Amino acid sequence: MADEGIDILVVAGNPWRCDYLRFAADVTPVEGHAFAFIDREGPVRIITEHPAEARRLRWERAELDVTWSISAIEETETAIRELGKRRIALAPRAAVPYRLAMGPLAASIAPATALLDRLMLRKSPSEIEAFRRAAVLADEGYAVFRDAARVGRPEYALVAEVEAFFRSRGCPENFQILGSGGREVRGMHPPTERRLAPGDLVTTELTPCVDGYYAQICRTLVLGEPSKTQERAFAVYNEALEAGIAAIRPGAKARDVARAQNEVFRDHGLGDYVTSEYTRVRGHGLGLYVDGQPAVLEDVDLDLEPDMTLVVHPNTYHPEVGYFVHGDSVRVIPDGCEVLTRTPRRLFSVPLV
Amino acid sequence: MRRGLISWSRDEVPPSVLEARVARLQEQMRAAELGVVLIYTSFARPSAVAWLTHFVPYWNEALLVVQPSGAPVLLAAFSKRMHDWIRSVSHVGEVRSAPDLGRAAAAFLKERPPEPSRIGVLELDALPWSVAEPLVKSEYGRALVDATGLFTAIRQPADEVEIRLARRAATIAVQAFKAIPTAAKSASELLSVLERSARLDGAEEVLPRLAPDLRADATLRRLEGDALLGERYAVELSVAYKATWVRITRCVSTHAVPPSWRGAADRFVETVERLNEANLSLEPQVAGSVRPGKTAAWTLETCRGSPPLSIVATGEVPSPSALPGGSLACLSMQQDLNDGPWLGGAPLILGSGGQPSRLLI
Repeated sequence: MADEGIDILVVAGNPWRCDYLRFAADVTPVEGHAFAFIDREGPVRIITEHPAEARRLRWERAELDVTWSISAIEETETAIRELGKRRIALAPRAAVPYRLAMGPLAASIAPATALLDRLMLRKSPSEIEAFRRAAVLADEGYAVFRDAARVGRPEYALVAEVEAFFRSRGCPENFQILGSGGREVRGMHPPTERRLAPGDLVTTELTPCVDGYYAQICRTLVLGEPSKTQERAFAVYNEALEAGIAAIRPGAKARDVARAQNEVFRDHGLGDYVTSEYTRVRGHGLGLYVDGQPAVLEDVDLDLEPDMTLVVHPNTYHPEVGYFVHGDSVRVIPDGCEVLTRTPRRLFSVPLV
Repeated sequence: MRRGLISWSRDEVPPSVLEARVARLQEQMRAAELGVVLIYTSFARPSAVAWLTHFVPYWNEALLVVQPSGAPVLLAAFSKRMHDWIRSVSHVGEVRSAPDLGRAAAAFLKERPPEPSRIGVLELDALPWSVAEPLVKSEYGRALVDATGLFTAIRQPADEVEIRLARRAATIAVQAFKAIPTAAKSASELLSVLERSARLDGAEEVLPRLAPDLRADATLRRLEGDALLGERYAVELSVAYKATWVRITRCVSTHAVPPSWRGAADRFVETVERLNEANLSLEPQVAGSVRPGKTAAWTLETCRGSPPLSIVATGEVPSPSALPGGSLACLSMQQDLNDGPWLGGAPLILGSGGQPSRLLI
C-alpha cells in the first residue's frame, strides 16, 4: 500500500467472492456483504450486513471495530467519506458494488485489484502449509468418495458422505461437482438424483478448504471392471497430466502447461476435444478461491513463479467414454514442481457388489 | 462454497407457477414503464432468479433478462457445455454464454432495444462492478434505474409452492437435529452428523453456525477446525431445499432439558403468535411478558430479493420495514435466562388481518 500510495484500502467481499477479504482481513462472510477497512498497519474496521455476522466477527476478531447495517453499502460509503482526504482505494472489481464504484474512487478499483492479485499469486510459507493440509484432506476425501460410490446410490448421497467426512475433520468449505454415466455425459455438475449404474464412469472434482485455502483433486472411477476403451482413454489423460506437470517450472508460462497437455490429445487424434466446445481450462490457480489465477490455457502468458499453487487437470470429453477427469494439486518450486496430491493416478474400479 | 442436490421436479414446482411469477413481474414492469429488468445471480445472491426460474448457480454468475413479455433470457458465465444442465434444472427461454456478463448484457440490449428505454436492475446499488462497469460505460448506462422496490412488492406473500418447499427444508433441518448423538463431544462430530443427515435428505445446502458452549458464550460461530461441546450448546441450521431457505435454531443439553428452556420455548411460540403484518416489533410483547428472563436479541428475516434471507426487523434497529401477511419469514431469538442464554429460531407464516402468525412446522 505504501508503494502504491494508498493510505486506506477498502476491500469488499461476500460468500461468493470472499477471497480478497480473507487475504486482507482474515474474515470470511457467511451471508451478505462485508467491507474491511485496511490501513498500512492492517485491518481496522469491518462493516457487515447482518447482526449475527457482526457478533461472529467480533468474537473472531475482537481487536477490530465491527459494525453492521441493513444498508451496509451505504454505511461503507459514509465511512469512506468520513476518512476525508486520505488516499483511499477500493477492491476487488469482482465484489465492489455499483454504488461505491460510481463514487470518486472508481479509478482506484483496477490498480488496487491488481495489487491484491499480485500479492495473492505467490504463497507465503504459512499459506503453503494450509494448501498442503488441504491437499491431504482432498486425498482422504477422495477415498471416502470412492467408498461411497456404489451401484444404486444417488449422486447426492456421495456428496453427503464426503461433506460429512470433511466436517468431521473441521473443514467448513468444499467445492465439489461430479458426473456419472457414459458417453452421454459432457461435463460435471452439482449432484443430481441420478442413481449410479454398472459400467458408469464416475467423475469428481473435490476441493476442500483448510484455513481458507483450497486444494483440488480430480479422479475418475468405474463401477465394475474398466473396459479396454476406458483403460485406453485413461492412458491418454494420465499422459497429459504427466506432461502438464513436467512443464511446470519457474519461468514457464501458463500456456506452456496447457500446450503440453493439449499436445498429448492432439497426438492421439483427440485435438477437437481440447477446444472450448468440450472443456474449459487445463488447470487453474488455487488458494483462497477455487478457480484462481492463472487459468491454464494456451493463450495465457502469465509466468510461473515459485510458490504459486495450481491444479493441473486435462479434464475433457472423450468421444468413446464420455467426460473424464484427472488432476493433481501442485506447487511451483525453484527447480520445477512439487506434486501434493498423493492419491495414485489410476482409473479406479469399484466392485459391483 | 458448497451445494448439494440441485434438481427441478415439475411436480414440486410446476412451470405454470414460475410463469405466473414472471408474469407478475412483467405486469409491474409495464406499470413502471421499464423496458427490461436485469437480475443478477451468484452463489451468494441466488434467490431472486431462483424464484423466477428455479435456476441456482452452484458457482459462477449469471444475469437474468426479463422483458415486458415472453420468457426470461439467461446470460450465463458458465461454459456452453453447461447449458443442457442449466435447462434441466430451470425454466428459462434462451440460455446464452456470457463470460463477461456486463458486456453480454449491453450486447443483448443493443440487439433487442428495450421499449420503453428505462432499464431496471434489481439491487442496482449492490451489482458487482465487474458486471456493472461495461453496462455503465455502454450507451445504456444512463438508462439504468433501481428496480428493487418493484421486485420486493411482488416477492411476498409466499405462494403454496414456496411454502411446501420451505416446509420440506424445515423438516430436513428437524430430522438433522434428531440425528444429533447424545454423547457428541466435539463440534466436528456434531456438524458431521448434521451435514450428513441434511444432505442425504436432499438438502441443496446446509449452513451451520454453532455456539459450542452456551455457558461460556452464546455467539453462533462458523467453525474452522474444532471445538469441544459444553453441557449446553446451540446450533443454527440454515437449510435450502430447491432454492427455498429456512433458518432453525435449537439449544441442546447433554443432561435433562432445563425447565427454564421450556419457558423460553413457550415465550418464543407466544411471540410468533403475536407477530403479524401490523406488528413486526417484539418489544412491547417482551415488556409485557410474565415469564422470567429477557429477550437479548432477535431478528425477523424473509426472502424478498436476491439474498436467501434479508432482515425485516430486529431488536437492534427501531423501525421495521413492512412485510405483508402470508409472508414466509424466520424468527431468531436469544433470551437471557437466570441460568444462562437460550437461542431459538423457526420459520413462520406471517399473520394478517388480526390473525396470528403460525409456525411452519
